[in-house]
Amino acid sequence: MGDSTRPLESDGVFVTSQWVGAAVPRREDARTVQGQARYVDDIDMDTAHVAFVRSPHAHARITAIDTRDAEASPGVLAVMTGRDVAAATNPVAPRGITASVTQYVMAVDKVRYAGEPVVAVVAGTQYLAEDAAARVHVDYEPLPPVVEIEEALAEGAPLVFEEAGTNVLLHDAFEHGDVAGAFRGADLVVKETFRMPRFSSTPLEPWAIIAQWDPGTGAFVVWSNDQQPGRTAINVSRTLRVPIDKVRYIIPDSGGGFGIKLAVWPYIVILCLLARRAGKAVRWIQTRSEHLLAGTHTPEALIEAELALARDGRFLAIRVNSKENDGSFVHTAGIYPLIKFAVIVGCYGIRATAFEFSTVVTNKAPTVQNRGVGKPGMTFVLERLVDLAARALDLDPAEIRRRNFVRPEQMPYTTPTGEVYESGDYPECLRRALELAGYDEWCRKRDALREEGRYLGVGIAAGIEPGTSNLGYYYISRGRPDFLGSVEGAMVGADFDGGITVVTGSVDAGQGHATTVAQVVADMLAIRPEQVSMSTHFDSATSPFAPHSGTYANRFNDVELGAVVAATRKLRAKMLRIAAFVLGVHERSLALRAGTIHVEGDPTKAVSFQEIAAYAYKKALLLPEEIEPGLREIAYYQNRAAKVPRREEFNIQLTHANAVHVVVAEVDVATGFVTLPKYVIVHDWGRQLNPGIVKGMVIGSTVHGIGAALYEEFLYSPDGQLLTGTFMDYLKPVALTVPRFDLGEMESPCPTSPLGTKAVGEGGAITSLPAIANAVEDALRPFGVTVTSLPITPEKTLRAIRGARVI
Amino acid sequence: MTPERFEYVAPASLDEATSTLRDLGDEAKVMAGGQSLLSLMKLRLASPRYVVDLGRVPALNYIRDEGDAIAIGALVTYAELKASALLRERCALLPRAASVVGDVQVRNRGTIGGALAHADPAGDLCAAVLALDARLKLVSTRGERWVWAGEFFLGMYASVLEPDEVLAEIRVPAIAGWRCAYLKAARRPSDFALVGVAVRCRIDGRACADLAMAITGVSDRVFRARSVEEALNGRELETALIEETASRSMDGVDVSGDIHASSEYRTHLARVYVSRAIRAVGAISGPPTPSV
Ligand SMILES: Cc1cc2nc3c(=O)[nH]c(=O)nc-3n(C[C@H](O)[C@H](O)[C@H](O)COP(=O)(O)OP(=O)(O)OC[C@H]3O[C@@H](n4cnc5c(N)ncnc54)[C@H](O)[C@@H]3O)c2cc1C
Repeated sequence: MGDSTRPLESDGVFVTSQWVGAAVPRREDARTVQGQARYVDDIDMDTAHVAFVRSPHAHARITAIDTRDAEASPGVLAVMTGRDVAAATNPVAPRGITASVTQYVMAVDKVRYAGEPVVAVVAGTQYLAEDAAARVHVDYEPLPPVVEIEEALAEGAPLVFEEAGTNVLLHDAFEHGDVAGAFRGADLVVKETFRMPRFSSTPLEPWAIIAQWDPGTGAFVVWSNDQQPGRTAINVSRTLRVPIDKVRYIIPDSGGGFGIKLAVWPYIVILCLLARRAGKAVRWIQTRSEHLLAGTHTPEALIEAELALARDGRFLAIRVNSKENDGSFVHTAGIYPLIKFAVIVGCYGIRATAFEFSTVVTNKAPTVQNRGVGKPGMTFVLERLVDLAARALDLDPAEIRRRNFVRPEQMPYTTPTGEVYESGDYPECLRRALELAGYDEWCRKRDALREEGRYLGVGIAAGIEPGTSNLGYYYISRGRPDFLGSVEGAMVGADFDGGITVVTGSVDAGQGHATTVAQVVADMLAIRPEQVSMSTHFDSATSPFAPHSGTYANRFNDVELGAVVAATRKLRAKMLRIAAFVLGVHERSLALRAGTIHVEGDPTKAVSFQEIAAYAYKKALLLPEEIEPGLREIAYYQNRAAKVPRREEFNIQLTHANAVHVVVAEVDVATGFVTLPKYVIVHDWGRQLNPGIVKGMVIGSTVHGIGAALYEEFLYSPDGQLLTGTFMDYLKPVALTVPRFDLGEMESPCPTSPLGTKAVGEGGAITSLPAIANAVEDALRPFGVTVTSLPITPEKTLRAIRGARVI
Repeated sequence: MTPERFEYVAPASLDEATSTLRDLGDEAKVMAGGQSLLSLMKLRLASPRYVVDLGRVPALNYIRDEGDAIAIGALVTYAELKASALLRERCALLPRAASVVGDVQVRNRGTIGGALAHADPAGDLCAAVLALDARLKLVSTRGERWVWAGEFFLGMYASVLEPDEVLAEIRVPAIAGWRCAYLKAARRPSDFALVGVAVRCRIDGRACADLAMAITGVSDRVFRARSVEEALNGRELETALIEETASRSMDGVDVSGDIHASSEYRTHLARVYVSRAIRAVGAISGPPTPSV
């Protein structure tokens, strides 16, 4: 703690500059790594256990369910079928799609994917529940499944939702700028069809829920690792047909979310029904097998794209047509396209864009917004086109990017679709990345090693990582406003001894929120972070939250901290008022220092936070009438940069970080195996509040991208069976396959976020995909190979080398 | 992730283990490191009524110098094989293969007995013992019998072990000074082999002698690459011969295909790895891109 007393600027955020920006160690780590974190399954409470009977078929009619054996099984408390669910709930409300379809949180009369829950069983132990589930007899009449996008679109294809009359539940097209004119006037058009795989984040802790029902009040308490309690409260209430206040949500420690835990809520509905039916609290801890089979995936996509260029390499227009396989969950179907097209121009000054999309449903597992939500795919497509263009024009991939970047003097820059890039210096970011990587040297090395029969390639990619969703973008297609902007809440107070306490509306899923919040609050109140306590556990009974609340879309650094700052300001103001009263001076002559408030210039005339708290609570009678007792302030905050999204002006996300990745890949051309000997990242993260956390995020998300680029894919058999149902077949990157990362520094503060921060949680997963693909393609140039799909598996690579020419 | 109900039995000696197995019949399953058995049980792909844990039988855990052979108790773990100075000096192939099995946790728990008894068609040690012409001691209340590694594996997860038998000991030849290599192609370092090639030989003057090669991950069981052995023994290892031999090494083999490697790709990969393994024992640095 500095010993200088700094005068309080009346409108400044911080009064010290000690903690914000420092790599303060994460306070969460000690408990987490010692196994002392408390996850849902650690909740020490007597509960019954749930097991699901899941459909073995991808598509089938349920002709009979016989639960008698299961009900007679030892320890069984309740058995519930899809029909029971349908009788007690409303159907799932779709968000993105326009087609009218009916789906419940469990299969009713028909199953739409292998793994869909058909019957739920409650028993005294997990073992007994599983035993009983095995005794449920379900008769199915198999229907022809539709598995891949092409099948679903074919004439006469079987329908996943008969009532829709089609498997395309949403289709729309947008055009901004003179696209046709640009293509007509182009000197060159590069065109390709790309395929993004179906993959996921597979958090270490799968979904977990405990639900308890109080027959006296009809109210539920739910412990879960949900990521977005705001929307969940609404969804569960509407589906379960109970008022919002009848369900209390508690979210203890969560073992990673990455978007995948935005889809926990249908199971919360099921667990609530089971708790009510069984008359006992019920617990369901999803197994890894269930998670891979029936948890949520990122949809795979088939994307046709073309880029129009002038002879000098300038990009004139881009046209994209994307078809996404959203599986079989109507709630999230159609959520991907628009958010993905928000970055259709990437870092470039392209002035004309056209895109069209189809949301396709199939008999595959449900999908949900996952790290980057479509932007990894969009960036893969764009940055691949850029490399293809560079090759066609014989331009260096760095040079063609330089010629097209939005220039720093154009900031803030509005893209044709209406996204506002607030700040940044893209050419400089590239320059730093190339320098850090030793780009020219690697290019020389690549050429020299080729003579020896070794195949190295250097890949560059530039990407935008947006943050804070202006929610409700999907109604641009639906035409009915729903959620808007992004609101978050926080409560900051002093306890009876003057210790500072924070409660947030968002939830932590491993991001280190408490560490960062404590740094911010410490510098606002001139105390040490240790003096700020923040529960990482969310409780809807006490957390100030909004329908938008949750941790997704990189919004914590923006709106959650905005709320924390606003609430801390209120608290600080009140503490100053009390101090001014106690010291008998005007508030303006006060300063904060080391847990006290003192008269500026005279630290001996001071009152401690503890004493201020005593006045606020225990000795409130001594306060003047105009000062309300208590020290606890709530504030809600929203990013005011948000505009109501319209077809002409998307404005889908509200902050925009950017990054350049430079990757060296080596391909063993005898086997197709790829290694990454060099990996450089310069990510313009705006202002860093905690460089340790920021860099960890960038690296972690890049590792996720490496997974999608080289390893991860959910594969299905033609009859709709998941072939990658365990971690032996669904391959995650592991420590030994991840390169060392060299990170550069770049900070262009964001003018529209309260502390100048930008997004860091998704960028690695966005920019790494094309960077790796570009590197592999460069390595295989002598073989004329083009990379159009991910993951780049050894077998696909070898085939390409040996004649197929396409990965 | 919850096995079906089972009874746990922990015999304290090999005798007790074998009589337990005799009494319980084929409703019992032996457990060693549990690295394969428990996964199967948790997925309910295996549901034995009795699990007979060998972990309390100390007499099955040894690595002993027997002159021209090394005797290894069935309970010796991968980690112990890898760390054994005796094996490294006298039979380096085994520690090499053991060191690329799974990850640290698996190597700390998994045993040589379990690895062989499980007869995984992609097991690393299965290839190593086969290339070493190891002998396996199988014990039951009916007595003990010795079988050659070459007779042991019958097919996918199938061996000559009877339900009442315990694999008690593995004997590998002491071959100090011999050349050996275990090369494994896997998507990630902790994965099962898409192809694993175990090879050992002597170099006699300039000629290669007593070359034995076993291949795992490629077919429904590990197998000896007889055509390679015949082509190379007595010959000098040089590039043209190696390439020619490797290119024919998968002829007549029923190569399996799965999502990680189609049969066609795996065939190719196997040829590349056969070539690389021979180069490794021949200390021949070749082009990084063999022409097979
Ligand atoms: C994550 C992971 C990665 C792996 N990667 C690899 C790999 O890369 N390469 C590889 O080769 N293997 C791999 N394995 C499998 C591993 O090698 C297993 O340890 C081995 O197959 C079984 O050894 P165990 O001692 O654990 O046997 P257990 O699992 O206890 O038993 C396996 C089978 O053998 C029987 N059995 C065990 N011991 C005896 C005995 N003494 N006599 C008679 N029957 C017996 C059991 O009844 C059972 O049927 C991996 C396993 C895991 C979990």
